[in-house]
Amino acid sequence: MILNIKLIFIFVLLFFSFFLCSQEHSTKIIFKIELENIARRYKKEINFQKANYFFLREEWDSTLVYSMKQLVVSPNTELNNYSHYFRANSFRKKKLFVEAKKEYDLIATTFPFYYNVKFGLGTISLEQRDFAKAVIYFQEIENSPSNSTYDYDNSTLIHNIGICYIELEEYDKAEEYLLEAIELQKSEKEKPLLIGSYMDIANLYYVQFKDNQAIPYFEKAYQLSKKIKEFEPKKKASFNMAVVEENRKNFPKALAYRKEYEQWKDSLNDQNKVWAIAEIEKKFAVKQKQKEVNVLQTENELKEVQRNSLLYSSILLLLLLGVSFYFYKQKTKQNKIILAQKEELDALNATKDKLFSIISHDLRSSVNALKTSNTKLQESLATKDFSALDQLLDNNSSIANGTYNLLDNLLNWALLQTKQAYFYKESLHLQSIIAHIAYNYKPLLLNKNISFENKVTAAIFVMADQDSLKIIIRNILDNAFKFSNENGVITVYIRPTEDDCCYLVIEDTGAGMSEAKQQELLKETVLLSKKGSDDSIGTGLGMQLCKSMIHKNGGRLAIESQEGIGTKIIIILPKTDNNG
Amino acid sequence: MDNINVLIIEDTPAESDALIQVLKANNYTVVGVARTYTEALRLFYNSEIKIDIVVIDIFLDGKADGITFAETINIVPNKSKPFVFLSSSKDRQIFERAKLTQPFSFLLKPFNELEILYALEMAVEKFYGQTNVFLSEVQDTVIGEDYLFVKKNKSLKKVLIDDIVYIEVEDRYCNIVAENEKFVILMSLTKLVQLLDPEKFCQTHRNFIVNTNKIEEIIVNDNLLILKGNHKVTLSDKYKDFVKKFRILK
Repeated sequence: MILNIKLIFIFVLLFFSFFLCSQEHSTKIIFKIELENIARRYKKEINFQKANYFFLREEWDSTLVYSMKQLVVSPNTELNNYSHYFRANSFRKKKLFVEAKKEYDLIATTFPFYYNVKFGLGTISLEQRDFAKAVIYFQEIENSPSNSTYDYDNSTLIHNIGICYIELEEYDKAEEYLLEAIELQKSEKEKPLLIGSYMDIANLYYVQFKDNQAIPYFEKAYQLSKKIKEFEPKKKASFNMAVVEENRKNFPKALAYRKEYEQWKDSLNDQNKVWAIAEIEKKFAVKQKQKEVNVLQTENELKEVQRNSLLYSSILLLLLLGVSFYFYKQKTKQNKIILAQKEELDALNATKDKLFSIISHDLRSSVNALKTSNTKLQESLATKDFSALDQLLDNNSSIANGTYNLLDNLLNWALLQTKQAYFYKESLHLQSIIAHIAYNYKPLLLNKNISFENKVTAAIFVMADQDSLKIIIRNILDNAFKFSNENGVITVYIRPTEDDCCYLVIEDTGAGMSEAKQQELLKETVLLSKKGSDDSIGTGLGMQLCKSMIHKNGGRLAIESQEGIGTKIIIILPKTDNNG
Repeated sequence: MDNINVLIIEDTPAESDALIQVLKANNYTVVGVARTYTEALRLFYNSEIKIDIVVIDIFLDGKADGITFAETINIVPNKSKPFVFLSSSKDRQIFERAKLTQPFSFLLKPFNELEILYALEMAVEKFYGQTNVFLSEVQDTVIGEDYLFVKKNKSLKKVLIDDIVYIEVEDRYCNIVAENEKFVILMSLTKLVQLLDPEKFCQTHRNFIVNTNKIEEIIVNDNLLILKGNHKVTLSDKYKDFVKKFRILK
């Protein structure tokens, strides 16, 4: 029996925590609403807000910290009451009863939820097995008028009072309270609580050895426990039944109940284990996930690095490609230029070769002619044939003249090409210049019976380099004489024009030339023009020189010619500005 | 009218001989031929010979001493004379140097008679800063410091300005009356007045310019000037102010 009683004690104690939790749960709804109101009123109190938040979340350590901060900072008594209440509750939950009690004592009696304080104090007393004190606290709540509005509290309260009386061995009072609790719980349909109450009252009777009254309650509790899912009440109910059957010496039944008890206990343990395993698994899964996340993160970083490096390398490659393409282009361009230059040089070289061959031929033949002519002259002198002397000397001088002209042109051309010649443009009196040049032709004119007329007026001034102009005119006059027949006429005159240029026309009545020949002469080419089929020896160098020099003087050359009638060579030069 | 005195600086006798021949044929007087730079300087600064033009061959014995000579005579102010360079090549470097001896005129060898005469005329024109005179149809005289250079036919002549007594203008022509001769030049009055030294010459009438040094008597009442050689020139009212230039003894 003593063993039984002891067992029951354990059951009762087990019940307490269960009840307390339930009680907290039911009050919270109202309390929560009130807390939210308070929080809304004191929005600026950050510490209180935080304490409140953590209190509702049931994170007790954080609640303790922030409520403490609130207490230090704020002098507000209303908030202080709440803060103390938070702290007391937090301490109580953490089973630090002495501190909890201190905090409860600090709460003013004006605190609107003071019955909660009393309840808390009562619970602490109950936990500390100071049942007499607990009864006083609980009964104060029961007697206070305010808690009537929260009548659902009553069942637990009354139940607790009942338990206290059991412990104080005031069984009549205990029976009264427990029965009241059963009635209230029945109406509230709180099955787990009802099972507890049934078992409590059964224990009550059992302790008083009123087995007949006790056993139906045990059985009721057992029957009811079958209808619920929780393992704890099932376990207790079956254990109680096992004890009861054991005491009645009905061992097979007791064994069955005991087995059932073991089963529920195992289930409970299993469940706990399952939960624990689940917890561990969860942790493991979280860890695994974290790992995965880390791996993914690293992968991402790696990928990013890869992508960046790819991007940079591709940009670099592109740049390299662009640069190399640019250089390639440049090179091809240079190559093209070089090729063009090479072709040009080749052409020039060919021209020079040709020029050289022609000149060497011309020079050799003319000097040779001079030589043979001189031999003849010597022979004539030896034979005293004076009549032939005149003719031979004339011949000699004309050959020398031609050769000199050729050499002169060659030299001038070389000077022009190497830009070694002094070049100075000035205002020139065209009439005198032409007179000067024509002066040299006087014997030739007489010889060929060609009449020369200089019709250029004295007022004409042109802008040119004197010597190059002389070379130009001399060459053109040379040609005019060369292609003029006997009794021909060479006229030099200015063609009147509107523009700022002076059109110097050198007209002859010579052989003339074809259109193609004219075009060929005027062509901007370094290549030498081919000679016609006539016997006149020449290189075309004279015309080239003329064109180059006219160009250098800022002028142009034009040709008007008809075969058999004559040729007009027109030198177009800029007039001197200040002499109209 | 006197011939123009020419100094020739030429190291090749054949060339100088040809030159002398041409110049003499055209009534120029060759006062000397210098073969070297020092000889040229000696002849040039000889005060007994009045040199009017110098013909300089650039290359004397292979050196560009001709240019050096021109540079030398150009350094002394008011002592320089018109000169013509002769050269057989148009070497740029040489010409760039020669060009600095302003006024610069040159003649390229070989040259004919016309060209050398033309070059001499050009040298005179350029030297006295009166270009396009001898070639134009309205003027044939360049007025130098001491001489008038007058173109007669193909050649130049000079007249000592101090010898002129007075100048009478008729249209485009000017009758120049010197102490010993009379001749006509082609020149406008305005240009003449502009170029003659105003210290020496004064206009006394619309048509008369008088050498003040030649005035012997001024008869204001008769509007008459009596000049040296008993030339009589009219003095018009408009130009009577010139009398104020003289210190009148009372």
